[in-house]
Amino acid sequence: MNLFGNAVPWRSIAKEALERTAIVTRFLCLLHVTNTYICTPTLVYGPSMLPTLNLTGDVLLAERVSHRLGKVRPGDVVLVRSPVDPRKSLTKRVVAMGGDKVTFVVDPRNSDRVRTITVPRGHVWIQGDNIYASRDSRQFGAVPYGLVEGKILCRCILMCIVASIVCIKRTPCSPMQVWPLDGFGLLHH
Amino acid sequence: MNLFGNAVPWRSIAKEALERTAIVTRFLCLLHVTNTYICTPTLVYGPSMLPTLNLTGDVLLAERVSHRLGKVRPGDVVLVRSPVDPRKSLTKRVVAMGGDKVTFVVDPRNSDRVRTITVPRGHVWIQGDNIYASRDSRQFGAVPYGLVEGKILCRVWPLDGFGLLHH
Repeated sequence: MNLFGNAVPWRSIAKEALERTAIVTRFLCLLHVTNTYICTPTLVYGPSMLPTLNLTGDVLLAERVSHRLGKVRPGDVVLVRSPVDPRKSLTKRVVAMGGDKVTFVVDPRNSDRVRTITVPRGHVWIQGDNIYASRDSRQFGAVPYGLVEGKILCRCILMCIVASIVCIKRTPCSPMQVWPLDGFGLLHH
Repeated sequence: MNLFGNAVPWRSIAKEALERTAIVTRFLCLLHVTNTYICTPTLVYGPSMLPTLNLTGDVLLAERVSHRLGKVRPGDVVLVRSPVDPRKSLTKRVVAMGGDKVTFVVDPRNSDRVRTITVPRGHVWIQGDNIYASRDSRQFGAVPYGLVEGKILCRVWPLDGFGLLHH
């Protein structure tokens, strides 16, 4: 029997494949639009935001509406594109906005020297909560507001469990963090 | 006759209105996605890029793919979000990338003083072609690469300047 004979319904197979591809594509588009313009989960790790965020990884919900409306205030934890390596994003706390004076300890490991700087207009000053192990505005200066990509809303505790199970290299979060659910909800300072 | 009687076909009117709104919404979404991820027309004006760009306004086509792939080179005219006012975008020329040394005239109207600076890693140095009337990296310093929003391809309007920008 001819391979292209009428017994094999190529046309309907192709049509069905196209329909399913269209459904998947529409879903991915919707996901992308939600992630870019409404809110997105992000995985963050590292010591620079201890004790607020874990060393070994947290899944946070970042909303992407406020920064477009200019509603970023000192005290907010924000997602910022790194001015030093544009392929990375950082999660730090906003300490001062443009026009404010900020006083900070330059190198807390080695000295108590303190500096005061006025943040230029249109910039923000970001610092990690763990100033002993954080590369932030104290090293690379005030960050232009245009690099702010989102504001962290809360931590997704169930996703933290999933993330710690999936990431074999990192040690899992300690049980204290999982239960009782005191890690869920708005981030404390 | 009752306003909500069967003579006025409300259901089909509502259905048709919804369909048309859906078509318009899909078109706007497609337009937005094209503008953000492929290429977009932008209107630029001002004296800072004379003689390459006009004082009174040019419509340029900016493509938004290269900068995501890191293919921005010195000599490219780029669209950059302003580090001083995050609601504005600037159109300037990239003079140096991170790691390069850049030599520039600090204030050409008043003196010939020249400075040399090394551009920090992850930043670009942008200058307007008309250094006498341009607020650029000479005033606000090197700009983080993350603020680059697109690369200018060609001029679309006015028609007698249509085509690629000359250096």
